[in-house]
Amino acid sequence: MRECIDQYGALVWSLARRLSRTPSDAEDATQEIFLDIWRSAGRFDATQGSDKVFVAMIARRRLIDRLRKTTSEPAMAPVEVLESVAWSDPGTASETSPEAAQAARALRELRPEQRQVLELGLLHGLSQSEIAARLGMPLGTVKSFMRRGLIKVREFLNVDAKSVSERV
Amino acid sequence: MSPGSQDQPDDAMVDLLVKQVTEGLSPAEQRALDVLDSALASEHLREFERAAAAITLAAPVQALPPSLRARLEEQAQIHAASATHVQALRATGTAAAEARRVSRSASAGWFAAAACLLLALFGWFRSPPSSVAPTADVHVTAPPPATMPPLPAPKEPPTAAEERAALLAKAESRKITLGATKDPAAAGVTGDVVWDPATQTGFLHFVGLAPNDPQVHQYQLWIFDGGRDKRYPVDGGVFNVPANAGEVVIPIHAELPIVKLAAVAVTIEKPGGVVVSSRDHVIVLGTAG
Repeated sequence: MRECIDQYGALVWSLARRLSRTPSDAEDATQEIFLDIWRSAGRFDATQGSDKVFVAMIARRRLIDRLRKTTSEPAMAPVEVLESVAWSDPGTASETSPEAAQAARALRELRPEQRQVLELGLLHGLSQSEIAARLGMPLGTVKSFMRRGLIKVREFLNVDAKSVSERV
Repeated sequence: MSPGSQDQPDDAMVDLLVKQVTEGLSPAEQRALDVLDSALASEHLREFERAAAAITLAAPVQALPPSLRARLEEQAQIHAASATHVQALRATGTAAAEARRVSRSASAGWFAAAACLLLALFGWFRSPPSSVAPTADVHVTAPPPATMPPLPAPKEPPTAAEERAALLAKAESRKITLGATKDPAAAGVTGDVVWDPATQTGFLHFVGLAPNDPQVHQYQLWIFDGGRDKRYPVDGGVFNVPANAGEVVIPIHAELPIVKLAAVAVTIEKPGGVVVSSRDHVIVLGTAG
């Protein structure tokens, strides 16, 4: 289990820190996520993706659940303090996982405002309505950007998966 | 990797799936998704979840704080000692197949080890084999001997009250008496908590706690851990008191491991509970020793 903490601690903590209202909340969330990971380890299927994607999916589910429980509370951070994320380039991301490299490639093909919508939604935990308010964008446009961005990444992941299965 | 079906979800389904993986759905949205093609939805939901996870992996990470790491290691020890048997029992027959698939990946050594642990524990809990029903991964069953003695009648599982009594009899268990506050809903309430730190199990016991309508509000337990910031007690879960209950015993399911039980409180909260209580309605409180 220590090895598990070594391998995924930074990833889980980073996700929790971004999608929690306070550092203390993020610490609790990190502990809950590791319990989820330990409980779900038997369900990991390497043919469905890398271990890091599996962990990130578990973490995101838990963090979204926690965020929804606190929707009546004030926003997690004033929007001004949200720092823009420096996305990894595909080469660096490939050191994390093949999926991270493919996502980095897909993100490069998106327009900057599309990337920004994905960043605010997925990395900072803002709702679509909050993103629309922050960027002064119609809600429909935010939904469309979010949707197209996810579909683009999904296509890149599926192409990569197909090429892997063809090699095998 | 891509969904096997040729069917494509319509715009309404995609909108709901994207919202589910980015911010979660409201109960009404969840109901709307539930009435759509569930197989198609779950197929595409996983794809969107995977895409969202991959995007988060393309962002930089920050190091785990040492203090949190220490807490995780403590949690790991407690989990390994007390909770893995629950996973093993839940793993049932699919554990073997899943663990075999896990072993294909050399890059996921930790998961392979964890799955092996599940299997080992699963096997241990199944013994003696003759007393346990065969599970999905058992394909060969020996015929019963001709002179097999009649099986004893299955025992009823113990009630929460019986389990509490058994826990109370253990030397290592701890008991905290709960005192009613001045909240009107607390009038005449008495109770206690029995807790076993080794197994992280325990029970709430009340007399006189008013019945609640779960659609309007629920009771929520909070556990104060001496090893944690007292401003942030651990969520012990929500529970209900049925009409005419009189005396109630409720198993405790702490969301996080409790290193040192310091105090407990019960509040009244909205249905489903809250992450942080406003503490407007604290019903009972009790502190250790």
